[in-house]
Amino acid sequence: MKLMDLTERLGLVSYRNQAKSDIKPHIEVDTDICNSTCPHKCTTYVCPANCYTMDEDGKVHFQVEDCIECGTCMYACDQGAVDWNYPDPEIGRGVTWNFG
Amino acid sequence: MMDEKFDCIIVGAGIAGLSAAMTLAKNNMKFLLIEKGEFAGSKNVSGGVLWGSDLAKLVPNYWEEEDGGWERFINHRRLTFMDDQSTFSIDFKSSHFNDTPYSGVVVLRSKFDRWLAGKVQEEIDNSDYAMESFIATNIKVDEVLMEDNKAVGIRTGDEKFHADSVIISEGVNNLLTRQVGLQDDYVPADHMLTGIKEVIRYDQKVLEDRFQLNGLSGMSNEFVGFATDGVEGGGFLYTNRDTISLGLVAGIKDMREKEKSPHDLLNTFKAHPVIQDTIKGGEVVEYSAHVVSSGDKRVMPKELYKDGVLLCGEAANLLMNAGKAIQGMDYAMRSGILGAETIVKAKERDDFTSNTLKEYKQALEDSYVMKDINSFQDAVHMLHNPTMYQDVPNLICDFGRKFFTIDNEPTKKSRELMSESIKEHSSYWDLIKIGFKGAKSL
Repeated sequence: MKLMDLTERLGLVSYRNQAKSDIKPHIEVDTDICNSTCPHKCTTYVCPANCYTMDEDGKVHFQVEDCIECGTCMYACDQGAVDWNYPDPEIGRGVTWNFG
Repeated sequence: MMDEKFDCIIVGAGIAGLSAAMTLAKNNMKFLLIEKGEFAGSKNVSGGVLWGSDLAKLVPNYWEEEDGGWERFINHRRLTFMDDQSTFSIDFKSSHFNDTPYSGVVVLRSKFDRWLAGKVQEEIDNSDYAMESFIATNIKVDEVLMEDNKAVGIRTGDEKFHADSVIISEGVNNLLTRQVGLQDDYVPADHMLTGIKEVIRYDQKVLEDRFQLNGLSGMSNEFVGFATDGVEGGGFLYTNRDTISLGLVAGIKDMREKEKSPHDLLNTFKAHPVIQDTIKGGEVVEYSAHVVSSGDKRVMPKELYKDGVLLCGEAANLLMNAGKAIQGMDYAMRSGILGAETIVKAKERDDFTSNTLKEYKQALEDSYVMKDINSFQDAVHMLHNPTMYQDVPNLICDFGRKFFTIDNEPTKKSRELMSESIKEHSSYWDLIKIGFKGAKSL
């Protein structure tokens, strides 16, 4: 069985407000903390949806669009950079599982 | 609906919330069950098997329904030790488990919770408050309203709903539990894991032939060792009607320290030669992930109640893997029932303070839920020890390879082979320690 990369996997996920451009992010990340004092930047590898990425200069960036609301980053970040919440059904982009 | 005061508001229509709602409806209570997802179960992810027979108490003869929301009943259990090339399994299958009520059913939460919510609605319709109790979806609760340190309702956006009591069954990412002060604002990753899963579809006949399924019988298979590539945790495979649920749980702190990514771990697991053979030919239809707690009591909230509010299910981190099974949904179900029963008592006494609600904690302590969590803490600690998820699986597989190899050389006795494997992968001293702990903890 062919192994899937993460983009293919996330392609199987259903989101609400998929096409909405002005969604309000339900997670806010203070990347200044990630990029100044954080010794591990672990969100860039522990997030199962790769919402946290590191650029060539080693800087952490965050996008909320692929978030599957698992909660991993809320526990993994021990630097106080992650302000975690669930998306509001009206104004946020949220996951809807077909199987769960 | 807005000016009405409810007997109870339940936050979260997962298994704990639905079980609480079912119990309240059966007792003619006026309640509001609020779910942030589009429908009950739409935000829930589990492995997973719902163990035990509490479901039959909530929905008698649930197995007689044409499409009961559940996938398969378990009559085949397998525990598999893995190294990078091999698997060595303890395998038990028995027609003893074919009888109802089943002792475990595999569920997919998006289907199961939705079905159970339908059953709760039927119960509401039959209750005295058919027009005044509600299951409301698509609503995110922002806050539990507190007056004089007592919960009096909830707020969602600008709207407030009032109630004599609140049951928080919001799941493991328990923001409201933290807001009311029952858990610290920041919960460290030490005893938290990420579950990661693929649902893989097969032609139903292929699936049934592959796993020797008969009718609605099913298999649960847990994996330890190479499955998580050196990270604390393990793997699982459960058979659904025409899909399997395949995945891992991996310690968040351990992934952070070992710089491992959960989706890479899942690919490593799937690429294992034995797993490849087991799952070939399927089509992945969903990828999902969710945090779970380890069952270590150190991560549980400080208390399970305060004036006007109770915690049920994973909001209270009620989950455990002591090696025999990963249990959580049964705990959610039982705690939801017990929580609601306490609210019924509180209504009878017209006392929703801790005076009454502390009885919930006692009921939970007296039930199998806390009895198991308390008596298997040593097993939980042992399973999260690297010897158990690394050295022991390697040793067992190495012994298996030697034991089953026939190479036309004089064959060594098993005892000698075992001794070689132990020396290679662990030490007698470590195993004596583990064996001693194991004998004590299980």
